[in-house]
Amino acid sequence: VKLRFWGVRGSFAMAGRDFLRYGGNTTSIELLNANGQRLLIDLGTGATELAKQLMQGEFGKGKGSLPILLSHTHLDHLQGLPFFTPFFIKGNHIKILGADPISGLSLEATLQNQLSPHYSPLNGLENLAAGVTIASFAPGGSLEVPGFEVTTAAVPHGNMWTTAFRIAADGKIVTFLSDVEYPEVDEPLPQALALAHGADLVIHDAMHSDQDYGLRRGWGHSPARAGVVVAERAAARRLALFHHSPDATDAMIDDVVARTAATTTVAVFAAAEGSYLEV
Amino acid sequence: MQITFWGVRGSYPVPGAATVRYGGQTSCVEARTASGEHVIVDAGTGLRALGNKLASEAGGAPGNHHVLLSHVHWDHIQGLPFFSPAYIPGTQISVYALLTAANELDQVIGGITRHEFFPMPLEAVPAQFQFQKVEPGLDFHIGAFHVTPIALNHPFGSVGYRFDADGVAWAYVSDTAPFDRVLHKQHFLAGPEPLSDGDRSTLAAMRAALVERLRGVDTAVYDTHFTAEEYARFPHYGHSTPDQALDVCLEAGVRRLVLYHHAPSHGDDQMDQLAADYANQGSERGIEVLTAFEGLTVTIGVAT
Repeated sequence: VKLRFWGVRGSFAMAGRDFLRYGGNTTSIELLNANGQRLLIDLGTGATELAKQLMQGEFGKGKGSLPILLSHTHLDHLQGLPFFTPFFIKGNHIKILGADPISGLSLEATLQNQLSPHYSPLNGLENLAAGVTIASFAPGGSLEVPGFEVTTAAVPHGNMWTTAFRIAADGKIVTFLSDVEYPEVDEPLPQALALAHGADLVIHDAMHSDQDYGLRRGWGHSPARAGVVVAERAAARRLALFHHSPDATDAMIDDVVARTAATTTVAVFAAAEGSYLEV
Repeated sequence: MQITFWGVRGSYPVPGAATVRYGGQTSCVEARTASGEHVIVDAGTGLRALGNKLASEAGGAPGNHHVLLSHVHWDHIQGLPFFSPAYIPGTQISVYALLTAANELDQVIGGITRHEFFPMPLEAVPAQFQFQKVEPGLDFHIGAFHVTPIALNHPFGSVGYRFDADGVAWAYVSDTAPFDRVLHKQHFLAGPEPLSDGDRSTLAAMRAALVERLRGVDTAVYDTHFTAEEYARFPHYGHSTPDQALDVCLEAGVRRLVLYHHAPSHGDDQMDQLAADYANQGSERGIEVLTAFEGLTVTIGVAT
């Protein structure tokens, strides 16, 4: 299975020369299996770049079909939705799968709020020309996605929960654990370890450097070390540090990778926008 | 008076190699008088960097900020939760906006930080927020700034502002469609709808009022999101072209036009071309034309 990071930044999209190598777009990840089936995780600004590529193919003709997993509904994971152009072409089928927020509002009502008339001229999901299905699920089970076996779990994210994913395709395992903070960095929660068990690639929240984490404990994000502990305990092969802080320049991310890699035998790299990588 | 551009992009932020020179952040302009009073126009993603600068200048002391919104589409409000002065206790933030689709501005602004969207609700933010309703036709003052709201033509309504201070004036005219093909109202447009006679006279009156309020303005910052070809495809999206901006500004006798609210797809090379084309056209037609980029500071009332 191939994977491409279209957005790796957390919280806020960062433009400018200091963010060119890792990229400034917010969360969006594409998975492509050997049969050409596609799965998207999250709709941050990175999704707008993927959209341009999709529109060159089936989606431009209204013949595209795409499942999108939403980890949670914070805006940096949704802000690309109103500009994801496959939504504007009749005939495309897009299925958004995510947990209902814990506030009591449904996932669908939350997305409707995002597209409410004061915030967006789209004025509601019903004005998207594509066929759009919003499918809420309760984390902890598995999801039906053509070509991918997806297992889900809720993990804590500050004052809410986010969904983590274990995705199997082409005999490989990718684990997505972003926007997560464990009660103790050195004690990852069992559901996180279960999702990451034996994974070929673990994509983990690394919003903070280990040095900065002390000041930001409780904000719902992990230091780089948290992903290392998960990958080691779960016997995963590779670890991608992900959800980079908007304040982290390319040079600062280089430094975090170097410091982190020196502490472990797991292969560590920082997620970067740009090209497909073979899992 | 000086104005500084902190975000020049429309629709959504665009990081990457293609936007390093003009900038990828969305709408945000700071205006400052000679004595240092300031207002902020629009709270797009450019607001984050402006907020960091203001907080650092204040050295952690609380301040008093006025944020005037043209409208509340995401690209004009998305920076608000990331405005660092808001997290300094004692800070006062007044937000000004047109009331259209929303009945209560505090609910619209509070809605940005609903639990589903953002970790901290507006009520928990240390700064004190005040919400002020803006109505075209009702001028108001913010310190040394005399502010004239101007009705614009954009889905669900938008308002421009003329700012007079230090004996000079500039205007912020974004977001707006031109005033001929589409009259934007309070509903979704899948495409242009036929205009009634009433619509045509509403548009004509809106344009005439805009021209009237731009008279005597030194600099107009104008929504020029589209090229002519793009506008022809999307006339119902609520944005203008540089040619349409030039017509309005020339008629009003504006000395300098600043092209603004660049489409996300317009990379630096295309922007260079556009900037050169319109600088030339401007000099032929007797108006200075600048193209906004992040970090540009323009002095109002002084030829560059």
